[in-house]
Amino acid sequence: MESSSTAAGGGNMKGYFRQRKKTGGITKSNSNSKSKKSSSPDHSATLASDIAKPPSLISHASLDLQDDYDGNEEVLRQFDVNMAYGPCLGMSRLDRWDRANSLGLNPPKDVERLLRVGKLRSECLWDGRV
Amino acid sequence: MEAMELDSEDNLQRKQCLYQSLDESFAIRKEMYRGQQYSQIYFARLHLMRTLLYSLLPNWKPHLPVCTVLELEEGKECIIVGTLYKHMKLKPSILDEYSKERSATPLVKPHNFMHPDDDLVLEDESGRVKLAGTVLIPSIYVTGIVVAVQGKETVGGDFLVEDVLEAGLPHQEEQPLESGEDKYVVFVSGLSVGSSSSNPLQFQLLVDHITGHLGDEMEQRVAAEIVQVVIAGNSVEVPHGLLNGQNLASKDQSRLSEPIKELDILLTQIAASVPLDIMPGLNDPANFALPQQPLHRCLFPGSSAYNTFRSCTNPHSFELDNIRFLGTSGQNIDDLEKYSDAKDKLDIMERTLRWRHIAPTAPNTLAFLCG
Repeated sequence: MESSSTAAGGGNMKGYFRQRKKTGGITKSNSNSKSKKSSSPDHSATLASDIAKPPSLISHASLDLQDDYDGNEEVLRQFDVNMAYGPCLGMSRLDRWDRANSLGLNPPKDVERLLRVGKLRSECLWDGRV
Repeated sequence: MEAMELDSEDNLQRKQCLYQSLDESFAIRKEMYRGQQYSQIYFARLHLMRTLLYSLLPNWKPHLPVCTVLELEEGKECIIVGTLYKHMKLKPSILDEYSKERSATPLVKPHNFMHPDDDLVLEDESGRVKLAGTVLIPSIYVTGIVVAVQGKETVGGDFLVEDVLEAGLPHQEEQPLESGEDKYVVFVSGLSVGSSSSNPLQFQLLVDHITGHLGDEMEQRVAAEIVQVVIAGNSVEVPHGLLNGQNLASKDQSRLSEPIKELDILLTQIAASVPLDIMPGLNDPANFALPQQPLHRCLFPGSSAYNTFRSCTNPHSFELDNIRFLGTSGQNIDDLEKYSDAKDKLDIMERTLRWRHIAPTAPNTLAFLCG
């Protein structure tokens, strides 16, 4: 069984699973791999799993639960829900920042910096969810 | 070919003016509005107008505190600024189609939806409050205007209005008076070429007058002082029977384009002589919602050959010799007439100046596209 899977897993089961990508995809913890009964890769999509799902099954909403959420995204979300700058739905975050700036509302400069430089979400937190 | 000159040696020259178009903000490229229920439009409007009204408060009632709707306390005299909402019983609502019981109220009168029971509500981001009192008469106001009101909250939770402040007219720049040189702009609207009531002879008379082909030298001198012609909408009227959604027979297709061809012939004569701006109106072949985009140049093969011919948006804004013009083809005033009471249309136009907003009922009852 030659598998080059990167994460540690239970003994023989590893060989039945598809090779895991190093970056991207969904990576949940491996703790439930030992309790699985079925090990066939045909059922991989139905298992609560540590397997990378095929891209067609990744829904957009679920990506938000993972990697993108960090301190920077939190700053942007606080900007989104701040009522002083108006409704956040229907505009990109940068457009909303520009509008707040031209209305003289003095939006925080670090939000602008994060939006122009960073690779963070350009749409508000409710986008695609309502 | 030499023209016969019986009276004078020199030809009259038409006066000239420096023209600058300000229609940039009315042009729609690929923008689409993706907001929720026009919330973005109303936020921007409230914020811009409120900033303006706050700057006027020190000259109005400087001793009174200003607060938001949520900060109102019973009995406390204060000033609040917000957007007006007029609750109208007779305003047509799409939900009436779905109501289980068809009430006995008659079909809405198409010309006016007012009712003695209409009342006004003031709204800002924090909340809304019903306005009471006799100072603010609901029949004059419409939904969408931003005003400042002074008064206090009553026991019942309403706000008793004692005084109201509108944004008012903006500061006017002093225009230096030229040394007696008169220049004229001609505004014409509702030509309705192609309708049963339009008379081509009358239109031709207008064209002859503008181009100086009419009258003696005195008349021609007056015509030479016309520097700009603006056609403000409803220039054609397509026979309505043709627009029923069915495929057109080929003979009907030519009937559809006849009015526009006739219009183009007459506009060519005008454009050959004086700068001409044409704006779309309610009945013209342009998009329905404001701001209407310019009529396409291919509709006017004759006139668009001239560089004096300009197809413009509705609303249309331009500057002539540093005097700024702003106008519409009337849909905004017609809409205001349906929801408020006025002696005549000029009264309504004056109100739009005092409210500092040419179309306050957009996007509520006046179709409006926004980027």
